[in-house]
Amino acid sequence: MGEILTYLGRYSHLLLNGTLETLYMVSVSLIIAVVFGIPLGVLTTITRKGHILPNGVLNKTLDGIINIGRSIPFIILMVAIIPLTRAIVGTSIGTTAAIVPLAVAAIPFVARVVDNALLEIDPGIIEAARSMGAAPLQIIVKVLLPEALPGLILGVTLTAINLIGYSAMAGAIGGGGLGDIAVRYGYQRFRVEIMVQTVVILVLLVQLIQWAGNKIAKFFDHR
Amino acid sequence: MIEIKGLVKNYSTGQGVLHALNGVDLKVKEGEIFGIIGPSGAGKSTLIRSLNLLESPDEGIIKINGKDIRNLRGKELMDFRRRIGMIFQHFNLLSSRTVRENIAFPLEIAGVPADARARKVERLMELVDLTAHADHYPSELSGGQKQRVGIARALANDPQILLSDEATSSLDPESTEAILDLLKRIRDELNLTIVLITHEMEVIKKICDRVAVLERGKVIEEGEVIDVFLDPQQELTKRFIRTVIDYSLPEGLEDMVIKGDLVRVTFKGESTHQPFMSMLVKKYQIDANILYGRIDDIQGIPFGTLILELRPNGGSINTALNFLEEQGLVIEVLKNG
Repeated sequence: MGEILTYLGRYSHLLLNGTLETLYMVSVSLIIAVVFGIPLGVLTTITRKGHILPNGVLNKTLDGIINIGRSIPFIILMVAIIPLTRAIVGTSIGTTAAIVPLAVAAIPFVARVVDNALLEIDPGIIEAARSMGAAPLQIIVKVLLPEALPGLILGVTLTAINLIGYSAMAGAIGGGGLGDIAVRYGYQRFRVEIMVQTVVILVLLVQLIQWAGNKIAKFFDHR
Repeated sequence: MIEIKGLVKNYSTGQGVLHALNGVDLKVKEGEIFGIIGPSGAGKSTLIRSLNLLESPDEGIIKINGKDIRNLRGKELMDFRRRIGMIFQHFNLLSSRTVRENIAFPLEIAGVPADARARKVERLMELVDLTAHADHYPSELSGGQKQRVGIARALANDPQILLSDEATSSLDPESTEAILDLLKRIRDELNLTIVLITHEMEVIKKICDRVAVLERGKVIEEGEVIDVFLDPQQELTKRFIRTVIDYSLPEGLEDMVIKGDLVRVTFKGESTHQPFMSMLVKKYQIDANILYGRIDDIQGIPFGTLILELRPNGGSINTALNFLEEQGLVIEVLKNG
């Protein structure tokens, strides 16, 4: 037992750092993705035919942007937007720099999740709000978002878990994090025990996030 | 109060153009409960949604209090809608809000300050008897309770007009009865005008003052409910009435040996106070034999049918039938003897 602890302790600093880096990248990019993804998703939904502000051209454009954004492989996206990353962060290398491609990849993902959650709402409820003289912005704030809240929370949970997966690739631009440790120590230097430990931490992290997401979504679900 | 003229609404579908409304004319008076009945696909839903412009008609005029509403846009339209309440078949309550918050919703939209809003919500919950459920979510309520929330919500901004879109169609008979009573009560207490659509003649019979029958986007029959029940003109109307009042001849009647004329007499209200049976015999010298009869009532007015076998006993059947018609009775000769 003591042996195992000493053994684990040797790498604890490394693993702790990696965990913190992962959490930093994922949480900041998640916040950015939510801030931009929710309006993008809402705009896509409400411009659909028969919704509160139908606009075919805008809807098709947004829908196209979301689809293109989601179809580019992350590793390619990361390299492709290096100029953008440099413009925003000042460098294209490091943990903070990795946040830019992570957020850019997650924005269309969140937008689609929001779009799907809003489409789940019974059109009768939106009609009732219109019959009461609600303005489009009131419908968005008082009807669409609150009614879709459980779905939105589950969608954000899904995005967070996806970002953990993506963040493993961030090692390619020196982003660090648990995934990077697993690749560098475990895969490239055959340190299987380190790789296993990082994977265990990642699994626990994903479990924890999913569990918390489910709990919070359930709390807000009164359907 | 509400005046509709030449209302037309077409939808283009994959198969061609669907004529949902085909030139509808209607007048609804202040304070009445006006029922629109029709089979599914008749255009009821489009018609009632045109009254608050949830549907925009292609042609025609909709005047409310003398003002044509069809050109309302933007803020004017939203202000107008706040003065018309609407309730729905599937209630359409916000699942994320409690009873109290659902009723407060239209007040929030109208920008009523929080303290006034809270007072109003309390009064509305008392009106529909839901105070005990104030903090429950819709998923914890029965259908009848949900519709009461819907009614309270629709009344929140003190509308003059309440639109009811099949409000009792997904309720059990008991809740239907209770909701219809509530609608009638709020009409009386708040002097509302209620326009409702339904496919159930029972609803028309129970609470409506006047009725319009809609078929394929057109009003085919219209009038006071009691008059329409007494003397329906259209086949569709007769079919609807048969769903609540059994008009069919009792079994065995046709096999009976009938020597005289078989006549169906339908009567309502005060005409039943005339002793017409004895007058037939004494004054018109007709022997009358009651073969079958039933009496019903429509909102307190007695209403019934008798099937008589008439045989002349010195008098003339035709003269006697004319006399009955003059008394306000509706006569239908089923069989000449």
